[in-house]
Amino acid sequence: MSTLHLVRQSAFATNDFTQCLSVLDHQDTVVLMDDGCYNLKHSLMDSLLKRVDGTININIISSHAQARAIETMAKVSHIDMADVVALTFNHNKVITWQ
Amino acid sequence: MTTIEQQTLASLPKGFGLAIINSKAPFSSNDGKDALDVALMFGSFEQKVSLFFQGDGVYQLIANQDGRLVSIKDYLKTFSAFEFYDIEDIYVCQQSLVNRQLNETFHINDVQVLTSIEFSKALNRHQHVLRF
Amino acid sequence: MKTLAVVVTTPPYSHLTITALTYVEAALVAGINVIGVFFYQDGAMHANKDISIASDEYQAIAHWQRLQQQYQLPLHICITAAEKRGITCDSIDSEQVNKAFTVSGLGELVELTTKASRLVQF
Repeated sequence: MSTLHLVRQSAFATNDFTQCLSVLDHQDTVVLMDDGCYNLKHSLMDSLLKRVDGTININIISSHAQARAIETMAKVSHIDMADVVALTFNHNKVITWQ
Repeated sequence: MTTIEQQTLASLPKGFGLAIINSKAPFSSNDGKDALDVALMFGSFEQKVSLFFQGDGVYQLIANQDGRLVSIKDYLKTFSAFEFYDIEDIYVCQQSLVNRQLNETFHINDVQVLTSIEFSKALNRHQHVLRF
Repeated sequence: MKTLAVVVTTPPYSHLTITALTYVEAALVAGINVIGVFFYQDGAMHANKDISIASDEYQAIAHWQRLQQQYQLPLHICITAAEKRGITCDSIDSEQVNKAFTVSGLGELVELTTKASRLVQF
């Protein structure tokens, strides 16, 4: 049972990302969108990237990151909304953290 | 539970029903009440629904609260009707309780306190998730 | 068959709604059967005909209407959420309700959820 996590809030403002990480499972995928893009530079992201080891997939919506002048990161894939739609059906369910 | 109901449940696929994650404290926003309305509607349509309490959402379960003191209709009292709607799976995140120095003293019975891993596994048993 | 139901809880003036719209349109373009969008909480404000957003800003309501017409996308608003926000829904031809939206109850959300293979909240 894999889950697609849509993260829409900055972890500098709310605990939503922390709560997302506490239920994150192997095979899950994370998509940073809206202010969730700011999490790329949050310390929580460092611990997440250490956990990644190939099983958890981390993505960011390209236009949402670009609009916010957020720099690219090697381990984070840039995707668009059509990819999010595809991911929706590649996973068993979707949880939105907003 | 009748035999027919048990058979129906057994024949359902592994991931089924709706999980509702409650993440907000009870009184300053409408989220808790809005989530409750969804849960009761699923219950009255005899659809499987489970409730998860995480983060500030755990405050919705704490005993001895009284919204009337701040002029709020106490929707938390409705939680005691869950059994009549066959809402039986109520899970609370242990770490969220610990972080808030809360005891496991709730205003309803049969609340299951789960570790993060168990909480995650319980969520995974559902097909759909809404979070308020 | 890939079926999708979407719940929108943000109001028409929220920038978060743009993300919901972009997602739903991407799903429709990809040929996904979007069986309905359910507007709950502040999302119900979408059905208010009297909302006027400055013309140089994003017109979320117009975009939902466009998707509704182009793809016969069902748009449901929760009646309790709408009335709480000043939208009078008591008669079928209520003048305050945007005709692109169907006045529904939470029972509709139950139905969409049980029918959809995926449920996504915005």
